[in-house]
Amino acid sequence: MFDVVRDLLDKQLVDADDRRIGKVDGLVLEYRDDEPLRLASIEVGAMTLGRRLHPRLERWAAALERWLGVGRGEPYRIPFAKVRGIGLNIKVDLDVRQTPILAWQRWVRDHIIKHIPGA
Amino acid sequence: MAHQEIRVEALLSRRVRALNGRVIGRIEELRAEPRGRHTVVVEYLLGPAGLLERLSVSISWLPLPRQFAGKRASRYRVGWQQMDLSDAERPRLRCSVDELERVKL
Amino acid sequence: MKKVFEIALGIVTSIGGFLEIGSMATAAQAGAEFGYRLIWAIALGGLSVIFLVEMAGRFAAVSQQTIPGAIRERFGFNFFVAPLIGFILVTLLVLAAELGGVCVALELVTGVGFQWWALPVALVTWLLIWKGTFGLIEKGASLLGLVTLCLVVGAVVVHPPWNEVAAGLLPTLPDHQPAHYWFIVVSILGASISPYLFFFYSSGAIEDKWDASYLNTNRAVAGLGMSFGTLISVAVLVVAAVVLLPRGIKAEDYHELPMLLTPIFGRWGFYLFAASLGIACFGAAQEISLEIAYFIAQGFGWNWGEDQRPRDTPRFSLVYTLTIFVAALLVLAGIDPLKMTIFSMALTSATLPLSILPFLVLMNDEHYVGEQRNGWFSNAVVVFVILLAFVLAVVSIPLEIFGA
Repeated sequence: MFDVVRDLLDKQLVDADDRRIGKVDGLVLEYRDDEPLRLASIEVGAMTLGRRLHPRLERWAAALERWLGVGRGEPYRIPFAKVRGIGLNIKVDLDVRQTPILAWQRWVRDHIIKHIPGA
Repeated sequence: MAHQEIRVEALLSRRVRALNGRVIGRIEELRAEPRGRHTVVVEYLLGPAGLLERLSVSISWLPLPRQFAGKRASRYRVGWQQMDLSDAERPRLRCSVDELERVKL
Repeated sequence: MKKVFEIALGIVTSIGGFLEIGSMATAAQAGAEFGYRLIWAIALGGLSVIFLVEMAGRFAAVSQQTIPGAIRERFGFNFFVAPLIGFILVTLLVLAAELGGVCVALELVTGVGFQWWALPVALVTWLLIWKGTFGLIEKGASLLGLVTLCLVVGAVVVHPPWNEVAAGLLPTLPDHQPAHYWFIVVSILGASISPYLFFFYSSGAIEDKWDASYLNTNRAVAGLGMSFGTLISVAVLVVAAVVLLPRGIKAEDYHELPMLLTPIFGRWGFYLFAASLGIACFGAAQEISLEIAYFIAQGFGWNWGEDQRPRDTPRFSLVYTLTIFVAALLVLAGIDPLKMTIFSMALTSATLPLSILPFLVLMNDEHYVGEQRNGWFSNAVVVFVILLAFVLAVVSIPLEIFGA
């Protein structure tokens, strides 16, 4: 048994190789009549964070992502079944290079950092 | 089976009402465990609804005399069957408050 | 043996890295205006810093987490946004003050106006972080910063009335200009208790991979390093009291600052002072720009680390690049660095509760620090000083602005 807020939400996410891939920005649950709530997926992304503060921020974040070509304006969801460990960090069974999670990181690297000598 | 999506961030701090409509607390925490193929929420922890009580809880570690510790705020443990989340924005109890387990701070 | 070396190095770098334009300017103005009466404020700030730095190191070693990451985890993202924004805004001003300090040092030596140095200094600051490693930055600037010990030498050589110096350790009420007196107290506290200092220390402990075996090392470094560092601030105040006060020089114009050492060391004094100012501020500027980037990266879960190449930490690198650039713009705009310094120190005091109280909650939470929770005494001291600083700031800052 674990506590969702204390042990999961806002915790650091790492991939199978212990690389930092972000934080648990949100959690999606599924409600079914006469059944306990299911932990469906972990959400990562600026939009999810924006929504926690104010719905308009979510829309701005989505618009920015689409405009810059970082993503399609939807937060990325990691199916909860991929969670391998809940401890200091939340380890997920993902090869992060295959996912759009680090889209912002890639965008900043390719559009800004790469152009500065010595990177 | 049809399902509704609920975001945890939206559930947190939602006021929970008893059968008679009285607010008995806010959702503070969810306890989950694996069951079969899924991980499910088995119980909810409700914390004090009043602002003053919530504040007194967060400063309870300060070395203040007992009198300042505020009313003994209580927490309730609500099993998943005892919570009605068909309207996620207005959670209600399915049972009477007496049936809930009280958790002292 | 290795630990002894680490302790020694840690203490030395803490001493060398302690002084920066905030502590220099506030101590100089305190001594120039009120003689030895404000030594208690520096001592109080120093005591709080010792506690806070020790806590920061203990937190990193035991919880293996960063403070901003833990604040977000413990209090949720919505709460985290408040200290995040507060920290960024105030620390950005402090960074501009430090960059300004380097530029002032260069102006003193070359005669070329401080604004002209803004971009070159920013570039060098940035380049060292871009290409350097954490060890190089932390240790390099701090070891060079030992030049600030010349101020301690000056304080001794100048034969202050030591009984009055000792008397200054007791808090006294001002005998003139009370509003200004309390404003300087606020600025001294803000200069001593800068949040970036112990956040950076904590990030450093994680980068250096400290674990629970480092708790005693941590206590030694925090206790001795910060104590000796505080002594240097006191030395600045003493020198100002002996040299500037009788001449009626208030140290409110940065051109007056080298006069701290010229009567003592002659022409050497001028260069020693400029070197002390320049090196101390340069080291602080690097720490601060890194810490702003650490805070944001750690709060959002990005990859961070000074030792990694920029291409592996693109967002982290972008943040410190931008912060240095924005701070440089403030210097370029011609805002007087000394005024910027005093103001940013006072603002720091006013926002201390926002950054430190959440940290204090973490230090009492078994979930993070286990048995290494704070004792009631350290809690009491820190809470008292923060609240004091906050209350004084709220009262005296408006008075200072409208009284001037």
